[in-house]
Parts: sequence; C-alpha cells; structure tokens
Amino acid sequence: MNAIDATGLELTYADGTEAVRGVDLTVPEGAFFGFLGPNGAGKTTTIKALATLLRPTGGRVAVNGFDAVANPRAVRRSIGYMAQETSVDPELTARENVKFACEAYGVPRAERRSRIDDLLDLVDLADAGGKPAKAFSGGMKKRLDVATALVHRPPIVFLDEPTTGLDPKARNRLWEYFREINARGTTVFLTTQYLAEADALCSEISVILNGEIVASGSPEELKRRVGGDVLEIELDPAASADADRAAEIARRSGLFDGNAAVVATESGLSVTSAEAKRFGTDLLVALRDAGVVVTGFNVRSPTLDDVFLAVTGEAEPETAEPEAEGDSRGRGR
Amino acid sequence: MSRGGDGEGGENGKRGEGRENRRDGEAGIGDAGRLRSAVASPRGSAPGNGFLGDVWTNFKRWNLKAVRNPFVLVVSLLNPVIFLVLFTEVFGQVATGAIGGGGVDYVSFLMPAIVIQVALVAAATSGIGLVQDIEDGMFEKVLVSPMSRVGVFAGKTLSEVLRISVQATLILGLGTLLGARIATGLPGAIAIVGIAIVFSVWFTAFSNVVAIKTRNSEATIIAANVLQLPLLFVSSAFLPVEILPGWIRAISGVNPITYGVDAARALVLDGWAWETILPSLAVLLALDLAFASIAVYYLDRASSATVD
Repeated sequence: MNAIDATGLELTYADGTEAVRGVDLTVPEGAFFGFLGPNGAGKTTTIKALATLLRPTGGRVAVNGFDAVANPRAVRRSIGYMAQETSVDPELTARENVKFACEAYGVPRAERRSRIDDLLDLVDLADAGGKPAKAFSGGMKKRLDVATALVHRPPIVFLDEPTTGLDPKARNRLWEYFREINARGTTVFLTTQYLAEADALCSEISVILNGEIVASGSPEELKRRVGGDVLEIELDPAASADADRAAEIARRSGLFDGNAAVVATESGLSVTSAEAKRFGTDLLVALRDAGVVVTGFNVRSPTLDDVFLAVTGEAEPETAEPEAEGDSRGRGR
Repeated sequence: MSRGGDGEGGENGKRGEGRENRRDGEAGIGDAGRLRSAVASPRGSAPGNGFLGDVWTNFKRWNLKAVRNPFVLVVSLLNPVIFLVLFTEVFGQVATGAIGGGGVDYVSFLMPAIVIQVALVAAATSGIGLVQDIEDGMFEKVLVSPMSRVGVFAGKTLSEVLRISVQATLILGLGTLLGARIATGLPGAIAIVGIAIVFSVWFTAFSNVVAIKTRNSEATIIAANVLQLPLLFVSSAFLPVEILPGWIRAISGVNPITYGVDAARALVLDGWAWETILPSLAVLLALDLAFASIAVYYLDRASSATVD
C-alpha cells in the first residue's frame, strides 16, 4: 500500500482559480518525499487536499489507504500535519499545547505524560515546558508545533515549509529529527523553499508548476536529467558585451554536443553539458584567443537549483537563503 | 516537460550509498540515544476520543485560555460593574421616582439588566476567541485532527456558558451588596443566570458569524462593541419603556435585550411572573434558533473543507 495515492487531483477555487490541475502523486510508504515549486504553484493547496482541509473538486485521493473525501476522519486519525504558519496556542504553555494535541488525538492517558516529556525533550523545550508559548521565539514555536504534530506517532506526516524563517541551527535540529522519524518508518511529505533542504533530506521529489507536476524522481535522477556538469565562467564585468560573444564562441566551438545548454548569466556564462569537464579547458583557451577576459571559472555537478531552473524557468522558489549547513553544491563532487 | 527519460533506474544501489554517506556526514549533531527513545515507530491510527471526550478537551482548553487572561475577565466585568455602581449612585434618587416608586429601589431594577449586559459582553468575546484561534492556526490544527466538529464548538460554547454563569453570579452578588433584593430568592437567582445563558446564545452566534466572515479580530471587536451600547440604551434595561420616547419604545419592542431584561427583572421584582417570563423566553429561544442556524451554516462551511 502506498502512503499517498492521488490521481487526477484537481482543485478549483470558487473564484475560478485552478490551483491544482490534474496532479498524480504516488508516495510509497517510508519515503521522504519532497514537493517543490515556486510560490503559488499549488504546493499548499495540494497538501491541504491530502490532509482533508480542502475538498478536491476532481480526482481521487487516498492517504494510508483511506479515501480523503469519503472517509476524512480515518485520514485525519492517521496523519500528522504541520501547517506553513506556525500553529500553537500562545496562551497555553508548551506542555499544555502538547497535552491538548495528545487529547485531541486520543493518546491513551497512561502514555501521555511520558509522551509529552519525550517530545518536549526531543525538540529541546523540556526546560521551557512551563512557559506560555507566546514568550517563545519563532524557532521555539516551530519546534513546539512539530512536537504537537507527532503526538500520535502517525505513519505519515505532512510538513508544509517547516523550516522557513528558521536560523541554520534550528533548521539543522529539525532536519535531524525529520531524518530520525523517517528512519523509524514514518513517511514524510515535505514542501520547502530551500532546494538544498530537499537535496539533503528527500529520497523522492516532485516539482509542481502552475498546478501540474512537471518533474518527478530522486534528486540524483533529476540532476542527471539536467544533462551533465555545469561550467560557470565569470567575465570581466566592465566588458558587458563579452557575455554574448562568449556564448557565441561556446556554441560554435564544436566542443559540446547539441544537447548542451549555453546561457549568458549575470556574471558571465554557464555551459551545461556532459562534456563540461572534458572540454572546459579548451573553451577557456578559445575565449582567451578571442580576446574575452575570463576572471574566474568553476566546473560543478548539477544541483537541484539547476533542475529547478530547467523545469520551472525560475532560479529559486524564493530569494536565496543562507544555507543551513555548508554548501550543498560541494557535496556532489 | 521533464526531459531525457533515459538513464533512469538501474543505479539504485549507488543512490542509496550516496544517501548513507550524507547521513553519516551530518550525524552527531544531537544526542542520538535520546532521539531514539522519543521517536518510537509509527503506530497506525490514533485512537481518538468519543464525542464527550472531544467536548471535554476543548472545554478545558478554552477555560485555560480564559484563566490565563484574567485581565480580559476583569475588564469585561468592568463596564457592567461601573454601570451598576454609578447608575445606582448617580441616578438612583431620580430614577427611583421614574420607575414608579412603589417600594422598588433602582438597584433592584437595574441589577437584572446588568446581568444581561454581562451576558452580552461575554457573548461578544466568543467571536473574538474564534478569530484569534484562526489567526493562531489553532482552528486549522483542530480541523485537521480527528475531533468531532460539533464537539469542538460545543466545548468552546460550554466554556463561555461557564464564564457567563460565574460573571452573572458575581453581578447578582454585587447587586445584593448594594441593596438589591430578589423576590424569588436563591432559586430565582439561579433562574436569572439561566435566562442570561439563553439570552447569550443569539449574540454568541452573531459574533461568531462576524468572526468567520471577516476573519479579522478588529472587525469582530468593533461589530460587537458598536452594537452593545445602543442595544442596551434602546431597551428596557435602564428605565421602564413606558416613560421612554415613542421611537425608542418602538425599537425596544424588537430589541432582544428587552426580552432578556424583562424576564430577569420579573424574577427580581415580581416573583415567578410566568406571564412575563414565558413569552420573553419564547422570543429569545426563537432568536437563538435563527442565529444559531446561521452560525452553524457558516461554521460548517468554514470547517467542512469545501472550497469557497
């Protein structure tokens, strides 16, 4: 049985906005699934339909084998859901928030105390358990929110941009936790604005654009589809016309096959090709011979940023953020 | 739109290896042993509670929220208390004449109206609580849980009923201290609290409808507050309608406050005057039913996952 089986999922709002247009999603049990897309692509609408918060206007959704429309309560019992906006009761203490969630999901009374202790300890709020949530920082509230989403040990948990707005340390801590619950057998359905996050965590990824899935696969598969390594060449910013000339030279050099993507970038030129590593030097020589001043260069493996650029035509879902840990780009080498 | 379907699959082993490496590289950030104990394996479906369990869970949360905000509890009583004390002291002498004398003092006349005012204020905060819950994300959190929707709202409403009962009792106590006498005694006092609860339903429903339609706490607060004073003054609350100008008398006839006040006042001044109490209760119940239906309709729409 798959954790999620959605076929032809459609969601059209009353004002006619087609937020989701025929999405097919299959998430096997135990997967760490990443759902990516630019803002407004339909990520949150999809996740809300899967979590029974929105009723699909077309298609079928089964979560843990339960039909989301015919049997929403069975779905609700079997999922954890963490909304994009942090959801905690500011007037209750951290402990009371987790306790309320335990009661809402019917965690047996005998297990509650140890469950609350464990979860608070886990998200490092054990010392702050008696403080009202309104006194918490954004990161602490988010961690508390995670704890409340998992009180009933759901087989699948939906995380809608769980790390947005967190500092790297807090983000790392959540990653560690998400990996752990996934390793324990919980299916994770994650949306994120940070491609490095998806790369670091996810075993499967789907990219949604304008309400439709435009790419699916493991991060490695998707990167492979980019079509090779990426050669980035920086040019003298003073000679702005050089970029077009350099692109022209690269295209005509005959070094790269027809699949190569040659793009003029802000800082110069980027060539994506299976032969980028092999013939990169030759291109640099050709540029020098043509009098183009190269101020820097770098050959790297493709990242999810390149995947994202290729399938959506946008550089990043959101403005770039400081990476949570090191630079994911370095890891592929 | 995905390009190059070739070269997929076949390298699963390698992929898995890559993931393992990554995991190793990032381990050791926290205490793995502690993590392990807290993150037990998933368990399938949450057992959930019965309907009464859901009511109880929500009743407790809203009571806790109320207690955590003693300021709100005190401030919401402030206006009614000021009205009761100041009106009695300032207008008492004049008003006792206006209400026809006959041994009836103004504080006894006013006290039941203030009880209704307390119910009105408490009902107004019901919608504010809902809006804040929506803003805090708690509304959605509750909706995504397996709790019964009816149970969720029943729990919240019961907590408001409890609050109205406590506050109405405090007003009755204060009024008695100021010299008011309840003709029907303790049973009458309990009945007055009951009337206040029956009275509160329609305004509770109204403020929740404003809350769900505007999803804006300022709008909800304003809608409730703007209505309060005119509703009170254009009713039988402060003076007998017989001595009020004709147009006010006309409006007060269709003002729900008048019915709540008349029923409660009968118990204070006249005893078990069923001929006044029953018609008033009938009007209030009809009003409750109408407003509650509208509220249930909107709350159901807002919580039933229908796209709107």
